[in-house]
Amino acid sequence: MELDKIERLLAKYDEGETTLAEESLLRDYFLREDVPAHLTAYKLIFAFSAEQRNQSFRNEPQIKESRKNNRFAWTSIAAILIVALGILFFNDSSQRLNENDLGTISDEELALQKTKETLNMVSQIMNEGTADLVYLKEFNNTTNKIIQID
Amino acid sequence: MKEHTFLNIINPVKDKMYRLALRLLTSKEAAEDATQEVILKLWSRKEKIKDYANVEAFAMTVTKNYCLDQLKLKQNNQLRIVHQNYESHNISLQKEVELNDEMTWLGKIVEKLPEQQRMIFQLRDVEQYDYEEIAEIMEMNQTAIRVALSRARKSIRENLIKKHNYGIR
Repeated sequence: MELDKIERLLAKYDEGETTLAEESLLRDYFLREDVPAHLTAYKLIFAFSAEQRNQSFRNEPQIKESRKNNRFAWTSIAAILIVALGILFFNDSSQRLNENDLGTISDEELALQKTKETLNMVSQIMNEGTADLVYLKEFNNTTNKIIQID
Repeated sequence: MKEHTFLNIINPVKDKMYRLALRLLTSKEAAEDATQEVILKLWSRKEKIKDYANVEAFAMTVTKNYCLDQLKLKQNNQLRIVHQNYESHNISLQKEVELNDEMTWLGKIVEKLPEQQRMIFQLRDVEQYDYEEIAEIMEMNQTAIRVALSRARKSIRENLIKKHNYGIR
């Protein structure tokens, strides 16, 4: 190929105006033939881009991983279901216990006695509580003394 | 979509994806990881792939975006990708040692280009895509791509000549 045609193409190449066909003409020219000294830079660039094309992805693409992820997602959903069902079940049964067993007594005598007992117990506890309040009277006495001083 | 069909679509593109990732990330390991990640991403979106007119361009766009994200992360972490893969083995074209050295220089020169120019140089001069496809991959218009490509080509050559003369003197 004539040199001036090549140079014309190179000028276009530098401006990014060449078509792919023209570029492959240039590539063939520079990879095959000896070029004049002022064009060695181009020769190197074309050799470089041709050489870069040889690199390839060595590993086999692996797409199994996504499936493994799916399997994990499945088990986590199952686990959540089990826990949720468990909680629901326990809540249900404890409520039923409360509703059914309120400790009701059907015999009237016994009921009266039991009520008395409980009322007694309550009043006893009340008394115990008020017994502690005796000390408060002392407080009143002392304030009375202060008032008398005045 | 079956695994088999998916792999048939990916196999012709995966080398190109890898080389684009390598151009951006420089490290071979990082590029391999990136390619693998992108393939997984595409696989997880396999039902939508059918809707894309140009699957290859879509795969390249995803690769580009993924690598740029990686670079951003690396910059945030103040990390530099470490790489020792300049040996550039198996040159079938030229066996001269001198040329091998020049290839190393060229690799370094290309690496210094801005990311966008590097990607466009890779897509056009190495992968030989036409402008329409590059526009689709880069999500840019064709004029802007021509301008960036012209800048990339010129600055590669200028730097190479500078280096070359420096070596001789």
